[in-house]
Amino acid sequence: MVQQLPAIILVTPLVTSIIIFFTGWRYKRLAYPLTLIAMSVCLLSSVFILTGVINNGQLQYLLGGWPPPWGIEYRVDHLNAIMLILVSLLGLLTATHAKKSIEQELPERTTLFWSLFILLITGLLGICITGDLFNLFVLLEVASLSGYALIAMGEKKALYASFRYIIIGTIGASFYLLGVGHLYIATGSLNMADLAQLLPELLHSKTILVGFAFILLGLCIKMAIFPMHVWLPDAYTYAPSAVSAAVAPLMTKVMAYVMIRVMFTVFQPEFSIMLLRVTDIMVWSGTFAILFGAVMALSQNDFKRMLSYIIVAEIGYIIGGIGVANAIALKGAIFHIVNDAMMMTCLFFVAGHIMHQTGGHRIDDFKGMFKTMPVTAAIFTVGALAIIGVPPTCGFFSKWYLLLGGIKAQQWGFVAALLICTLINVALFFRVFDKGLFIHTHGNGPAHTDFTGKPLAGEAPLTMLIPAFSLALVIILAGVFNQFIVNDVISFAIPLGF
Amino acid sequence: MTDVFSIAYRPMWAIIWPALTALFILCMGKRPDIRESGTLMGSLTLCFTVLSMTPVVLKNGPIQFTWFNLLPGIDFAFRVDALGLIFATTSSCLWILVSVYSIGYMRTLKEHAQTRFYFSFAAALLGAIGIAFAANLVTMFIFYEILTISTYPLVAHEESPEAISAGHKYLAYLLGGGVFFLIAILMTYHWAGTTDFGYQGILKPALGAASQFSLQIVFFCFLLGFAKAAWMPVHAWLPSAMVAPTPVSALLHAVAVVKAGVFGIIRIVCHIYGIDLMQTLGLGLVLAVIAAVTIVVANFYAIGQNNLKRMLAYSTINQLSFIILGVALLSPMSVTGAILHIPFHGFMKITLFLCAGAITAITGIKTISEMKGVGRVMPITMGAFVIGAFGMCGAPPLAGFISKWHIALGAVESGQLFFLLIICAGSLLDVVYFFPVIRTAFFAKMPAYETLDIDLEPKIELYTEKKPVIENKRPLYLFMIVPLAVTAIFSIVYCLFPDTFGIYALAQMAVKNTFGGM
Repeated sequence: MVQQLPAIILVTPLVTSIIIFFTGWRYKRLAYPLTLIAMSVCLLSSVFILTGVINNGQLQYLLGGWPPPWGIEYRVDHLNAIMLILVSLLGLLTATHAKKSIEQELPERTTLFWSLFILLITGLLGICITGDLFNLFVLLEVASLSGYALIAMGEKKALYASFRYIIIGTIGASFYLLGVGHLYIATGSLNMADLAQLLPELLHSKTILVGFAFILLGLCIKMAIFPMHVWLPDAYTYAPSAVSAAVAPLMTKVMAYVMIRVMFTVFQPEFSIMLLRVTDIMVWSGTFAILFGAVMALSQNDFKRMLSYIIVAEIGYIIGGIGVANAIALKGAIFHIVNDAMMMTCLFFVAGHIMHQTGGHRIDDFKGMFKTMPVTAAIFTVGALAIIGVPPTCGFFSKWYLLLGGIKAQQWGFVAALLICTLINVALFFRVFDKGLFIHTHGNGPAHTDFTGKPLAGEAPLTMLIPAFSLALVIILAGVFNQFIVNDVISFAIPLGF
Repeated sequence: MTDVFSIAYRPMWAIIWPALTALFILCMGKRPDIRESGTLMGSLTLCFTVLSMTPVVLKNGPIQFTWFNLLPGIDFAFRVDALGLIFATTSSCLWILVSVYSIGYMRTLKEHAQTRFYFSFAAALLGAIGIAFAANLVTMFIFYEILTISTYPLVAHEESPEAISAGHKYLAYLLGGGVFFLIAILMTYHWAGTTDFGYQGILKPALGAASQFSLQIVFFCFLLGFAKAAWMPVHAWLPSAMVAPTPVSALLHAVAVVKAGVFGIIRIVCHIYGIDLMQTLGLGLVLAVIAAVTIVVANFYAIGQNNLKRMLAYSTINQLSFIILGVALLSPMSVTGAILHIPFHGFMKITLFLCAGAITAITGIKTISEMKGVGRVMPITMGAFVIGAFGMCGAPPLAGFISKWHIALGAVESGQLFFLLIICAGSLLDVVYFFPVIRTAFFAKMPAYETLDIDLEPKIELYTEKKPVIENKRPLYLFMIVPLAVTAIFSIVYCLFPDTFGIYALAQMAVKNTFGGM
């Protein structure tokens, strides 16, 4: 059974997606339970995969029984296993959360939403599990295309934002494909493990260098590294809130995973670090991304847009951590991929609650939140403190590893950027806290009405609260018990050569 | 089950009680009476828990309790030693009194958002106790941040633009300082491989790996991190924070928060850097100069204040620097004095703040110039104020004398007579701004004053001699009057019997640990 899990985790959502699409014309109600079942199956199998990997080491699955260099191989080690758990967990939570939210925002197109949503998760899971560079491209397109469509369903400006995302995203994917092509020309192989053995002899070939550069560039665009981030804020702001919660945290993080995979598994760490010195560039682009993202976030009035810019900054953390390129910083970067996905999802959930209850996602809509929506406010507090990096939330601990790695490598610019960003995050979130906490600020009206006398919203429905609340709990627990995660999983996920 | 309540687990309970209290308050938000009794029960339990550890620590040395592993080489651990116990005793004892006081104060003024107030208060105490008992810098940092964040809603409680901007200032200084604290912790961990507090300091072996200059820089990062100690020039948040309700100013901005700052500095100087390394690096003198400047300048600021609470804030800044100066002199006597000044100043300053709050709540007076004749209508309150004020100056029958005497002795002992001058001058300047208050309150009929403040004439009529004593008019007022009388009495008791609650023995033990054999 365990041997078949890598297939099950992909096939289940893929089939569910198709079933939902076709049954949806008649049985609209079926979509939600089917999605939940599929997502739960994914989560369960990814948990089993992780325990399998921890106990028995790498897990291999040959698709159709074809041996590796020709057939497609799914290979799961610790790094994949965490990503699988992350994607399927957040997929399940977002799906639970999405029900009420899309019923309100997209009442006509729920079936379409569910089927695309599951397709998106399928693509993301596939990217994480596959051991084949071309297969990765295919699944990347599956995820991206469903992502474009989902984003386009959003508000008025979403169509334009999504179109821009399609153009830039396709360029990124093409770069990636071009790079894979170069590697294929030089080695004749697409399998990651196979390439890892073939490449060291060819490292000085210009073809390989160009291929490497193309792949990295493509990933950078997909990952929205500053200054290639322009598509991100619009796309995530105007998407339906359930879509933002699914796409925004996961897409960029999965791309960060691919980057680690390509740089340190397919290519040797010495090649990426010593020979090409890309890591130096990465540290600096990470540093600038952090500062730029933080400053831009500060100037936003829209909560979701602010979160989008925070994502740009957080990507800077991760890319900088990869670029610092010592074991501690890499631990921090991988841990931050996990943490950041959870924190951002948590905050996008909150944005979803506010959207559902007040109909907007501006910071002004948070007014009086602590009084009218106490549970949401508590969840928001946890998420915000995690982003700021206040212990005992998990955000502190990944930041700790990143900072320590930066100090060990003497990358003072990166360290300073991290600290400055922390301060700016404080300003960012306390602006929202102020809105939520202090209702007497303007005028002396009764607490439950705003200027126009419109009553403020109540608490969000339970299907939205439960996933957000459990995620907030996970954020704290992942912080408190971070040693289990870091020592038992992440330290094995560090690629060889560190 | 008995095992869990044994002495080894006490540090854990000391952390859990305030947390439970905070949760209880949150749940009982709709029922004020149950909520307040929850606060009282919580504070009493916490105080007994803390006090029950004193004899054990005095007899057997520190109680170590490790909860779980936080980071490689760093545990979430508590270590109850003499120094921490003094701070914890001060905070937890005063929490009981301030809880009682808050009931009177908040209800007299019919304040809004009382549940938030009590909740944040309990959370702040959690932070203070955690800082006191933390066994390493990271654990300390966790509680340090909890303390900062939980006091923010308290500072901005009034929700007026002024209060909110004070809250922002508060966060900017303290969370900004927190970032420096974090970087200093990271550097310490990088050099020493641990962040556990050691009696002789842990950074000394790192002197080879790290240059003297970088160690000095990191020390300043630590100092900036402890912006809570309100040394100049990072003091500006404290006077602004006085917009908070008085119980907050009293317990947090005279005891828990600011003492957490100086407590942190003592920890850094004694248990991270160690006395030897401080002398090698010449940091003691630098710190002493900073403290001396703060003492003098804060006094001058205080002289210029008309708002009573702001004046007390500057007085707090001044007194905190006495503690820093005591540590910076690096001699056993002065460190003893500094450690003693934590509880002693706490009791005296809280008396003054509680008096100021009671006067505001009962009569509405906020500035010193309005206080004419208050001493006659509120004799107990102003009597307590006089006791507190004398204590600030270090006059003999009061606790302030003991601690200042030790610090002065330390200055002599270490041969730095210049600082002896500063200590005397600082104490004299205290007289300059406290005695006018007393004079205004008791002898308001003095002609010189009446001609000076003509514009405030109407207020005076309210409190002429014919007015009866008003402070015990309503039973609610007694909730305020009794705690401040108790703290005033304790200020005297601590001079006559400095070993009440084992404070003096603990201080001696803490110093002995730091200096080896004394």
